[in-house]
Amino acid sequence: MVDYVLSLILFIPLIGAALTLLFTKSRESARMVAFVSSAISFVLTIMIYLQFEPGIAFLGFQFEEKIGWISSMGINYQLGVDGVSMPLILLNAILCPLTIVYAWGESKLPNQFFALILVLQAGVFGVFMSLDFFLFYIFWELTLIPLYFLISIWGGPNKDYAAIKFFIYTHVASLVMVLGIFALYFSTGVNTFEIPVLLEAFSDIVSAEMRVGIFLALFFGFLVKMPTVPFHTWLPDAHVEAPTAGSVLLAGVLLKMGGYGLFRVLLPMMDSLGPYRSSIITLMAVLAVVSILYATFLALAQKDLKKMVAYSSVAHMGYVMLGAAAFNYMSVSGAMFQQFSHGLITAVLFMSVGVIQHSVHTRIIPDLGGLADRMPKLAFLMMCGFMASLGLPAMSGFIAEFMVLTGSYLTLPVYALLAMVGIVATAGYHLWAMQRAMFGSYNEKLGEPHDLANFEMIPMAILVLLIILFGVYPGSVMEMFEHASKIIPGVMI
Amino acid sequence: MAVDNIVYLIPALPVLAFVLTLAFGKKLPSGGGYIPILAIAISCIISVMAFLQIYNTGIPIEVSAHWFSVLNVGILIDPLASVMLMMVTFVSLLIHIYAIGYMAHDPGKPRYFAETALFTAAMLGVVLADNILQFFIAWELVGLCSYLLIGFWFRKPTAAAAAKKAFLTTRVGDVLFLAGIVILYSSMRDVFLERFPAGIPDGTYLLQFSTIFDNISHIDPTNLTIITLLFFGGAVGKSGQFPLHVWLPDAMEGPTTVSALIHAATMVTAGVYLVARTFPMFIASPAVELAGITIPATLTVVAYIGGFTALFASTMGLVMNDIKRVLAFSTISQLGYMMLALGMGSVIGVAAVGFAMFHLINHAFFKACLFLCAGSVIHSTGTNDLREMGGLMSKMKITGITMLFSSLALAGIGIPFLKIIGTPIGTSGFVSKDAIILEGSYVFANVTHDWIPFAFGVLAALLTAIYTFRLWFMAFTGKPRQERHPHESPATMTGVLSILAVFALVFGMLTFIPFNIFVGHTYDHHEIEELAGLAGNHVIGHDEILDIAHHASPIITLLPVIVGVGGLLLAWVIYNRRWISVASIGNMRNPLFKILAKRYYQHEIFIELISLKFTYGVLALAGEFSDRKIVDGIIDGISSFIIGGAEVLKKIQTGVVQNYATATVLGVGLIALILSLRWVI
Amino acid sequence: MLPVSYYLIVAAIVFCIGVYGVMTLRSGIMIMMCIELMLNAANINLIAFASHFSQVNGHVFVLFSIALAAAEAAIGFAILMSIFRSKNNVNIDNINILRW
Repeated sequence: MVDYVLSLILFIPLIGAALTLLFTKSRESARMVAFVSSAISFVLTIMIYLQFEPGIAFLGFQFEEKIGWISSMGINYQLGVDGVSMPLILLNAILCPLTIVYAWGESKLPNQFFALILVLQAGVFGVFMSLDFFLFYIFWELTLIPLYFLISIWGGPNKDYAAIKFFIYTHVASLVMVLGIFALYFSTGVNTFEIPVLLEAFSDIVSAEMRVGIFLALFFGFLVKMPTVPFHTWLPDAHVEAPTAGSVLLAGVLLKMGGYGLFRVLLPMMDSLGPYRSSIITLMAVLAVVSILYATFLALAQKDLKKMVAYSSVAHMGYVMLGAAAFNYMSVSGAMFQQFSHGLITAVLFMSVGVIQHSVHTRIIPDLGGLADRMPKLAFLMMCGFMASLGLPAMSGFIAEFMVLTGSYLTLPVYALLAMVGIVATAGYHLWAMQRAMFGSYNEKLGEPHDLANFEMIPMAILVLLIILFGVYPGSVMEMFEHASKIIPGVMI
Repeated sequence: MAVDNIVYLIPALPVLAFVLTLAFGKKLPSGGGYIPILAIAISCIISVMAFLQIYNTGIPIEVSAHWFSVLNVGILIDPLASVMLMMVTFVSLLIHIYAIGYMAHDPGKPRYFAETALFTAAMLGVVLADNILQFFIAWELVGLCSYLLIGFWFRKPTAAAAAKKAFLTTRVGDVLFLAGIVILYSSMRDVFLERFPAGIPDGTYLLQFSTIFDNISHIDPTNLTIITLLFFGGAVGKSGQFPLHVWLPDAMEGPTTVSALIHAATMVTAGVYLVARTFPMFIASPAVELAGITIPATLTVVAYIGGFTALFASTMGLVMNDIKRVLAFSTISQLGYMMLALGMGSVIGVAAVGFAMFHLINHAFFKACLFLCAGSVIHSTGTNDLREMGGLMSKMKITGITMLFSSLALAGIGIPFLKIIGTPIGTSGFVSKDAIILEGSYVFANVTHDWIPFAFGVLAALLTAIYTFRLWFMAFTGKPRQERHPHESPATMTGVLSILAVFALVFGMLTFIPFNIFVGHTYDHHEIEELAGLAGNHVIGHDEILDIAHHASPIITLLPVIVGVGGLLLAWVIYNRRWISVASIGNMRNPLFKILAKRYYQHEIFIELISLKFTYGVLALAGEFSDRKIVDGIIDGISSFIIGGAEVLKKIQTGVVQNYATATVLGVGLIALILSLRWVI
Repeated sequence: MLPVSYYLIVAAIVFCIGVYGVMTLRSGIMIMMCIELMLNAANINLIAFASHFSQVNGHVFVLFSIALAAAEAAIGFAILMSIFRSKNNVNIDNINILRW
């Protein structure tokens, strides 16, 4: 295995982006170059995934590489993976090629479109691989740019509002986060931006208020990204306007960066919060439960199918927060698995909505009706996606939710039970939407829609198979998460 | 070949059949319907082999493997699972064979057979589960399949709505069940952490039934009662007990074979099976006090809900005109009997499980037969409405006779007092219902002086007989009320009907004693007694039960048959002889009739009020309002404040160089002034 | 040898004249000349201090400053020329297109 395999995975999409942007002449060659470069990344990811040893996990990194960069500040180019990041890297590596295949028919500025997707992929890889806070922040911000353009160029009618809202919202959050990073850097005085070193030095900060301040600053950055109520409103707007590929990646991998930050940075700090620990946990638990219930009822109220799916994302990310708040290894590994699983599920949902939008030119639920009659393949895959999203067993979402709820009950029983109240309503809005959009007699006003094209069906089918696979056998992904969460300092075993 | 090594095939084959039928069904004759038939037939054979092995050796089959984290997957076939297994595979097989004929003209056959195969597989998963989580997973898949099959004719808006209603209503129960599992895990964890403070050893699966049952006595009694009540909540949802029974009558929107499958072999019996499966936990749950509220012992709740449901549902069955709806209410009512039987467990112990399971199996036969007969009738008359039927006996002899037999079984007609080698003589419904009423609720009443369950049982039996024969007389006797010329169904259908009718008649008599002994071996009697002691109950032994039942006054012994025959005669008087005018009672001006015909306004309460008005109208729309106006309002407010501020401040940019120069000079002057002031001070 | 304060007073007067001119005059060319005045006031200061401290740094700075002033004048007049071409005058009241 080459020494710089992580760098390869990270830079191949970037090189692919440059090639797509500069050298391809036609749509056909652009999408082919884009697909090939993300596919190479995928193959390399599979290779390291198979070599990865789950036993050596959290903060014991594998495939590490380190090159000095700005030595006076202690900034390095440093990459590495562990049990928290490995499955998420896999998720990103799976979703991007599938998204490119799904967007095979993109005809508006295809070179730029595929190049931006590749940049996005590289940015997300970078976030999940960086072991240096400075590098982490650079990649964190890098992900904003391609998505901003994806929304503002390929977006819907209200794209400017959505793009600006998305950008400013998340950018403000990352500014607060970067304040937290610098506060951490300066108050520990270790003169390095290395994440593991800083996390270890965190407990040495004398002032408890300072520690809580740093924690909250970072927390806010991740909170907006996840997003958690009440900082979630950018998400539905961004989703509604974004092109399908953008939505898939936004919900599929970009939101996961927030949760990843939670697990990578905040949970190891949790034990050092001293007297503030319990109130922080309460804060997290309240935010989580409010997110779950509030977003669920909002999803019930939506008329736009895509907006409904967007709110369901908020609710599902609430489980991630709940699992993290409960702070025992079962709930934390469940929350990590929820991130992974939600990435797959939400991709299917957004792809389904995208197909509907594309073939009948509306996705307002009351205007649809009886689509299953004309689009049976879509109906089947969409049903699978919806069932997975409402937490049906034998699909990956259930495993995650079960782990989170069972784990959370051990430490936060009231919150866990409250979160369960949302389960019925979750089933409610999914099935209600299904009933109104897909079942009943066909609404002839919608014209003659085409069923799924192959390039749309294949990615969706692969995702559905993966959802079922991980739902039946969570296997090594779960094992990695479990090892990773057991080593978090202070976590309840 | 040891059966242990192939038992996994029992659920695996139907799953395989599901995949194959879905993939290739379109290209095969009969929509690939023969694939699930073959698969389920093999499963049935393996089930019988497993039964024989257990019967001969007396040792349950247990297979278990690590799944992930702290969970395992496994198969447990004890006597309880074994009888259930044979019933599910056998009845499901017959229904599949019948469906080849029944669904012959439907273009969606491949989808139908794929979904029923998965349905069967999921139910087998429920039966075979060796841990409560696996049970729940299969249980949910059963719910999914019922959703898909009730909504099979998805182009019909009512079918789509009924499917959603079924899924959501059972989902309410499922959430309670899941909460129970979550609390159970936590309680079991506490138990084990106390025993192994250093950490729970690997290979201990806290949710495995055997582990749970071994540790019931260590679980905190309050928690145990809460857990079992939550489990029962799940059973209430799945088995259509009051108040979550509302989905079952609507579930008739699917093909009749699906209704048969749901009501007889799969789905609704899962709830009863859940209580039977976790019976040791139920019997050990005492009445507890929580936050000042007294929570009754779980089995008491089970008995009352069951008994009430039995009566409540049969009242609605009296006035329904849709042939399948009548049967649906009868299913709810009969499930109530099974729950009632289980609830008697606090007195009669493990015999309660035997009675409930026995009624479950008998019910499966006669209810499958009734539904398939109804299917046959609908198939040939093209209507569900009883008022449009009549005089079908002459046209459809086999259907009429098989339906008569199964109706007799449902009404529980038999010969009292006469017993041959301890087995009562009568239809299978008589044998099992008699056991529940006399050896169950009468003995219960005798010991506890609580006559309410007994009263529920007897009253429901009366109503059952009335609505059953109302249905039969309206459909098969009298003058034909229809232009169409009904005809007898094809042989695949009538053959199945005949087999089921025979079972409905004689299965009860043939197997009553051995069945109860065999199922009784599922749980150790001494352990059950000890567990009942935890809840403060004294379980009486088998001989004592028989003793009390035998010494009941003849009136009591005769009562079930009297009400059964009485109901039959009443139905004959009203609906065959028509000595009493139906129209004089059954019109909307009669408030009692109206409330029954409106099904106690459940639709209005559950759908209109709770779902639409409250959940959607209040919660969801309030959320939408707050998101648009409050949360987003704050964000937009901040941004418009900033934009507005910029609008004001930008006026400084006059574009006139002199103004900028003046500002610079003034600024420098100001700085100079401040600096000089600092000097001075 | 005059004391350095004399030079500074002269420079200050010249500078104030320049500032006053920039703030009040309308003609672009006059403003340019006033800016030159301010620059030269600074130059006087630099030279005065250079001779006062007998150091050469000030002289060097002044040379830079003159070169800068020349460059600035070249660009400034070029801008004024192009303004004159489009507006037919160099009255800066007319060239406020950069306002809000």
